[in-house]
Amino acid sequence: MAVTLEPFGDTAWRARLPEGGDGTSRRVLFEWLRALPDVVDVVVSEHHALVVLSPGTPLEGARDAIARILARASTAVPDESTRPQLREHRVLVRYDGADLAEVALASGLSQAEVVAIHAGAAYEVASMGFLPGFAYLRTLDPRLVLPRRATPRPRVPALSVAIAGPYTGVYPFASPGGWHLLGTAVGFAPFDAPSGAAMSLGDRVRFVAQGEEEAT
Amino acid sequence: MITVVAVSGLVTVQDGGRPGHMHEGVPPGGPLVPELLARANAAVGNEEHAAALELFGELTLAGANGTLVASDDGVPVTLGPRDSWRVPGAGARVRYVAVRGGLDVPRVLGGRGTLLGAALGGHEGRALRRGDVLGVGEPGTLHQAPLPAAPDLEAAIRVVPGPDLERFDAGALDVLLASEFRVDARSDRVGIRLIGPALRRVGDDLGASSPMLRGAIQVPASGAPIVLGPDHPTTGGYPVLAVVVVASLGALGARPVGAAVRFVAAG
Repeated sequence: MAVTLEPFGDTAWRARLPEGGDGTSRRVLFEWLRALPDVVDVVVSEHHALVVLSPGTPLEGARDAIARILARASTAVPDESTRPQLREHRVLVRYDGADLAEVALASGLSQAEVVAIHAGAAYEVASMGFLPGFAYLRTLDPRLVLPRRATPRPRVPALSVAIAGPYTGVYPFASPGGWHLLGTAVGFAPFDAPSGAAMSLGDRVRFVAQGEEEAT
Repeated sequence: MITVVAVSGLVTVQDGGRPGHMHEGVPPGGPLVPELLARANAAVGNEEHAAALELFGELTLAGANGTLVASDDGVPVTLGPRDSWRVPGAGARVRYVAVRGGLDVPRVLGGRGTLLGAALGGHEGRALRRGDVLGVGEPGTLHQAPLPAAPDLEAAIRVVPGPDLERFDAGALDVLLASEFRVDARSDRVGIRLIGPALRRVGDDLGASSPMLRGAIQVPASGAPIVLGPDHPTTGGYPVLAVVVVASLGALGARPVGAAVRFVAAG
């Protein structure tokens, strides 16, 4: 199948990914691309893969190897040899977010229902980015899908559990942000300095409402 | 060790960066102007990527008797026991100060540089304050390299067009390549914002975020471009009109607020 590779500056190729992939298939692609020689960084988002070459590597010379991996990944059937080591994370949440009432109002639900829906689903790391350790988690229940806030907050507190569009996520650090805040992660560090990000592409995540731990 | 006697403006520890962690959301870091970090390091016999100070402002240092220091002007200075050494600000231009042996702050995820947004690396993950004391590494082998040239502040910045041309007005690339822009005061290590004619886009930013790279010229709805810097978010939702080539990153990063910027297609 045809693979679209576009130069991204003079050190990277960007590939457009075929529709319909999930976090697991993108994780396989990530690991294969990362194993190529002269590749220093690989970022796989939902629709693209960026392959950054080490300084001085001629761009053209790396093109064929990258294209072959992309073609192989698009047709590969996961088996024991290719299945990535995905982890499962259970994140305790205190549902005390500043936007909980607003989200309930906008979605025509009670606050308890918003919490039950958010904590009741299993999510997958669709991509990593924005901040160190930030995971875009899919897929939010359609009843909670809202556009970003019209005006982003200048400072979202660290460990905020938030939603926007089809995503939910945990802010690893205080930062500006336009997502709706549902609560605060408890006892979970999305990023810590010596070991890096807690979550990786394709990992599974569940949120557990504080006080409801025993029920699960 | 060295002691910060006085500081005004933003001063952080920076080194060659921490590539290889973008898939965790960690930007590559590294000096805003690689040539000037290399110059300061060469002047004290360090390897080019040794951890040093990146200054937006003014700094006065003291150190142990005999400590060899240099700014990116390339002139080494040996500190005496009661000396304090002042590095004047250079307007809004970024400067570097290296210490023989390099700054001995912990290596985090492969780099010693400061990532302010994540309070990561450098000296306690933050900008330096008066009274801070920083360790200095063993001098090791003296690297005898000629002083690298400072980047040309007049040179046109070379770019590779794309990859999101279809998300722009047909004439947007021509506007980028034919216009003069100026460095906006709101620029930092995350991105250099430019003031100039609007680069017109088509469509919205509602799609999923895409991978980003240092040098990418992102254009938000306002049409005012942002050239991503060493501490850029690893993904972003704005379309990229062109990407600055690696060899031109220093020449752009060295430009003070208000300086003129012109782009030219590489190749």
